[in-house]
Amino acid sequence: MNNTAKMIITLGFIGIVAGGALSFVNSWATPLIAANQKAETERAIFLVQPDASSYEKMTSVNFEAYKVFDKEKNFIGYSLPYEGNGFQGKIRLMVGLKPDLDSILAMEVLDQIETPGLGTKILEEPFKSQFNKLNTSSPIEWVKGAPPTKDNEIQAITGATISSKAVVAIINNGIEALRKAEAKEGSSL
Amino acid sequence: METVTENPSYKLELTSSPHIHSRWSTQYAMWLVVGALIPSVVSAVLFFGWYQLVIIGFSIGTALGTEALIKYIRKRKITISDGSGVITGLLLALILPPNFSLFGTVIGAVIAIGIGKEVFGGLGYNIFNPALAGRAFLQASFPVAMTTWTIPNFALDATTKATPLASMKFDQIHTSLSPFFWGNIGGSIGETSVLAVIIGGVFLIAIGVVNWRIPVSMILGMILFGGILWFVDPVKNPDPFFHIFAGGFLFGMFFMATDWVTSPITAKGMWIFGMGISLLVVLIRVYGGLPEGVMFSILFMNGFVPLINRFTQPKTFGAVK
Amino acid sequence: MKKQVTLLKEYTKGLWEINPVFKQVLGMCPTLAVTVSAINGIAMALATTFVLVLSNLIISLIRKLIPPQVRIASYIVIIATFVTIADLVMKAQFPELSKALGPFIPLIVVNCLILGRAEAFASKNTPIRALMDSLGNGTGFLIVLFIIGGIREIIGSGTLLGFQIMPQVFEPWLIMILPAGAFLTLGLLMGLANFYVESKKSKERESIIQKYRSSKQVQLTEPGV
Repeated sequence: MNNTAKMIITLGFIGIVAGGALSFVNSWATPLIAANQKAETERAIFLVQPDASSYEKMTSVNFEAYKVFDKEKNFIGYSLPYEGNGFQGKIRLMVGLKPDLDSILAMEVLDQIETPGLGTKILEEPFKSQFNKLNTSSPIEWVKGAPPTKDNEIQAITGATISSKAVVAIINNGIEALRKAEAKEGSSL
Repeated sequence: METVTENPSYKLELTSSPHIHSRWSTQYAMWLVVGALIPSVVSAVLFFGWYQLVIIGFSIGTALGTEALIKYIRKRKITISDGSGVITGLLLALILPPNFSLFGTVIGAVIAIGIGKEVFGGLGYNIFNPALAGRAFLQASFPVAMTTWTIPNFALDATTKATPLASMKFDQIHTSLSPFFWGNIGGSIGETSVLAVIIGGVFLIAIGVVNWRIPVSMILGMILFGGILWFVDPVKNPDPFFHIFAGGFLFGMFFMATDWVTSPITAKGMWIFGMGISLLVVLIRVYGGLPEGVMFSILFMNGFVPLINRFTQPKTFGAVK
Repeated sequence: MKKQVTLLKEYTKGLWEINPVFKQVLGMCPTLAVTVSAINGIAMALATTFVLVLSNLIISLIRKLIPPQVRIASYIVIIATFVTIADLVMKAQFPELSKALGPFIPLIVVNCLILGRAEAFASKNTPIRALMDSLGNGTGFLIVLFIIGGIREIIGSGTLLGFQIMPQVFEPWLIMILPAGAFLTLGLLMGLANFYVESKKSKERESIIQKYRSSKQVQLTEPGV
């Protein structure tokens, strides 16, 4: 057997065995991975909608958004995952909204790569709970160094103004996009 | 140790070879730098209170202690009397925020001497300015404490105030230039008073301890690069003189960029070095995420010094190209 | 003919003598990138060890069948297969850990430690020796990653394996969980390791000289005297 043929046969054989092993593992892992992702999305949706018991993915919008329902199948609001630029990279949020989009129920940070100890304070309580019951009929605003005075204001984190501003901007953009999409749908009915 | 009693006939000039010998010693020059920093220490006490002297003391003490300990472990001659440790400790304290914690000061001084200088082999071998290396470490470790600026004028309560650079960056508030001159503004312990910094800096240049090329090239670079941005958008960008007076630019320029060990030795190299720092400062301040960029700019250009020295070496006399 | 060492020695040499991080300086990417906490370090090292052991075992088994011209390509296919398996298993069973380690699990493919042991050892030795060698290297890697991750976690977050161990007054040094902290920790540890080796060597030298002196059969002159 000449050398070239041996090379091709060896590599081919290794490739076939490797491919077979991988397809076997993949067929085992794919449903598990999908289940993990689904569980994670569900967890995030219900995190910002404490009274919800079921949800439905919105098909009328070209971004990811969910309508959530309570036990009696009444429409009780939206769960909106939305992302934008933070200080160092993308920040991905989950925002729970009332059906009229004029008030936030809760906000949760899903993904971020902000500066540890500074920008990551957007994950922590004093900052996060500021968004609960926030009025969003007009865009959210932020103040520095003083407690908020209006019902659409939050206080930015000292030393992490950019991350705080980014969170506010992402929520404003997300609500704006959802409002536009819902208005369009409403008018077409 | 050699003491110099009469006026030296040659100024201390850092160049590549050929060299001529003078009676200046490293120790003597180091203590002159310490002397040049006294006005800044005075301004620190005047504007931020006596407590800053405690920070300075802790910083110098820790710096010397660390140096002695490392030399002892490595079984080398203990060289703390050369004054370089005192300078590092003093400079580090002067670029910390007022009323900074003593624990943090001690960490900064240990890192400045240990990692900034001694791991490379001690004075003369370090790549980066030790005091700035210590401050960079603290900045990365305690970002909140390192950007909490206590208000000047002996206010003992914990009121704080943004630096003019931070106000400019985050709130678009321009500060007028006059308070910079005396130093009655928020900022690091020893960098706020332009007057005190200039007295010390001009003294060092006049007696020839530091070369004039780096400060001059940095100021010209700032006027050039800051001026271009100001010309493009005078509303959003501050004028170049604000850039020069604000933050640690002048302090870094006189006392840190000119550090013999970590700056280029050729005349051409010094111009490149100074201009490079100014360009980076403007870029960080205007486009970066941080309000101030002098520390990172000097450290960054420190890293380029071996390369600058290599490409700006004068031709050997009489050699054929 | 090279003298054969014991099987145990094939294992223990990986712990210190040819420690992947301190002595071979291989696998720096995961060493620096994922060691923000002890658990990340352990998970990374275990995944690497899994790939290292299985791929080296197989490479050693078929070492005589692979033509030398295509050996690197074959090694990479084998390594990549095990890395993909490890990645899928982690995603399916440990989604949180897989998220924390991010792209660094797939990057085990290009970890020089694995290809390095395959080329330097597994391709020339029997499967049982290759197994011991890769287990030893994996353990050495695990120990170092745990130490680096532990140091960075204790100083950078005040915890170890998630448990608060530093007093509340201790303010964590954030730099330690930033990339710069990885370089500082690794550099200082490596310097310490070298310092230890050097001082041991010079002590050995001295004791040999002492022995010769005391026997008085050989007159030794100090070098440079």
